[in-house]
Amino acid sequence: MAGQSVRRGMVALVTAATLLLSSIPATTFAALVSTDEIIAASAARGDRARVAAFLAREDVQAQMRALGVSPDEAHARVAALSDAEVSRIAGHIDTMPAGGDALGVIIGAAVLVFIVLLITDIAGLTKVFPWTRSVRE
Amino acid sequence: MNKGLVLAALVAVAGCAGPRTEALLADPGGLPPVAGVAAVPFHPQAEKACGPASLAMVLAWSGSPVPPTALASLVFTPGRDGSMPPDMIAAARREGRLAVRLHGLRAVLAELAAGHPVVVLQNLGLEVRPVWHFAVAVGYDLPARRIILHSGLEERAAMPLDTFEHTWVRAGQWAVVVLPPDRLPAAAGERETVEAAAGIERAGRLAAAAAAYRAVLSRWPESLPAAVGLGNVRYGLGDGDGAAEAFRMAVGRHPGAAAAWNNLAHVQLELGRLAEAEDSARRAVELGGTGEPYAATLAEVRAARVAATSSASVR
Repeated sequence: MAGQSVRRGMVALVTAATLLLSSIPATTFAALVSTDEIIAASAARGDRARVAAFLAREDVQAQMRALGVSPDEAHARVAALSDAEVSRIAGHIDTMPAGGDALGVIIGAAVLVFIVLLITDIAGLTKVFPWTRSVRE
Repeated sequence: MNKGLVLAALVAVAGCAGPRTEALLADPGGLPPVAGVAAVPFHPQAEKACGPASLAMVLAWSGSPVPPTALASLVFTPGRDGSMPPDMIAAARREGRLAVRLHGLRAVLAELAAGHPVVVLQNLGLEVRPVWHFAVAVGYDLPARRIILHSGLEERAAMPLDTFEHTWVRAGQWAVVVLPPDRLPAAAGERETVEAAAGIERAGRLAAAAAAYRAVLSRWPESLPAAVGLGNVRYGLGDGDGAAEAFRMAVGRHPGAAAAWNNLAHVQLELGRLAEAEDSARRAVELGGTGEPYAATLAEVRAARVAATSSASVR
């Protein structure tokens, strides 16, 4: 969004210049160097890494669409992350933790799993059941 | 899988102390023994909505009250029946807040000691049977080995610090501090903090991003991304003079930064300071080469100067 407004500003500038001086064609389009590019440069990362991060973003967005998040929303979510943050999640969305619920998760758990989780709860390793008290409490 | 579970159970019966908790108790460093953040509003979670509820709590604390229901569209992923960690970070930035990932249990407690609540991800179950859960840490008590959490339906629930450590490490040690944009985390580095500020800029919250960049510069005056970022957002906000000031600060501290000279040239051009703009654009080309966008900037500035001269001579 920031990029867009800057670009719009630059377009307006170029247009104004062209209107004023029709003899001079608005040739190359110039723009501000974005903050992200500065960050990427200061981390000594080349263009290739940026391109990879960009592709990763497309990848991330495609995965999110498959998960019921609209393209616009997926874009907005990814946009607020840094390249490094995005490249960490690209390709891992299906295995990434999704914090959902601590309420009523045990319904349907097999007896063995129930007993194991009960024991680990009491040992203070897990905290699945609200009513357990670990030996450390 | 069953074998693994039985083994886990056998190991667990002993009652496990957490190595990080032990280390903290052995050497608390500068951490006060007891700390708490008093004014964190509590939102009991709706089903599957620990993410939006946790985020709503820290946002409200940071001065941006948004109901959890309104946050669900920003963080919830229907296909996963939950909220994914990066979306929590992105949503906080979209609300104009400084959201920074923390590294290590010590950093989490340091933020609490500084009066900042921390969103944490826990795997309350086992690795083979995960139960992912977001909660908000609001305090701790080292002598009692406890951490205090706003979690699920419980306000200020005390959990053994060892148990928290196990559940948190099993969830990848994910912890994020969400702050007003002009407030810096106590236990995060320059790079993560300036990237968090850039995230606010990318989310289009320019005024908040400017506040964040200013805060970064107050602690790390040499940060080039923060100085250029401040110029870029001021430019985006239509504040040409402010942008020029920030870019000039950037080139003052980093005379070799071609990008900063380039951006300064643009703003000077826009402000009608054509001679200065040409100097700046030339510096950018000298330092950064004739590739994009430096050569284009110089050409644009020169064209404007030629135009200005010819229109003056016509008059």
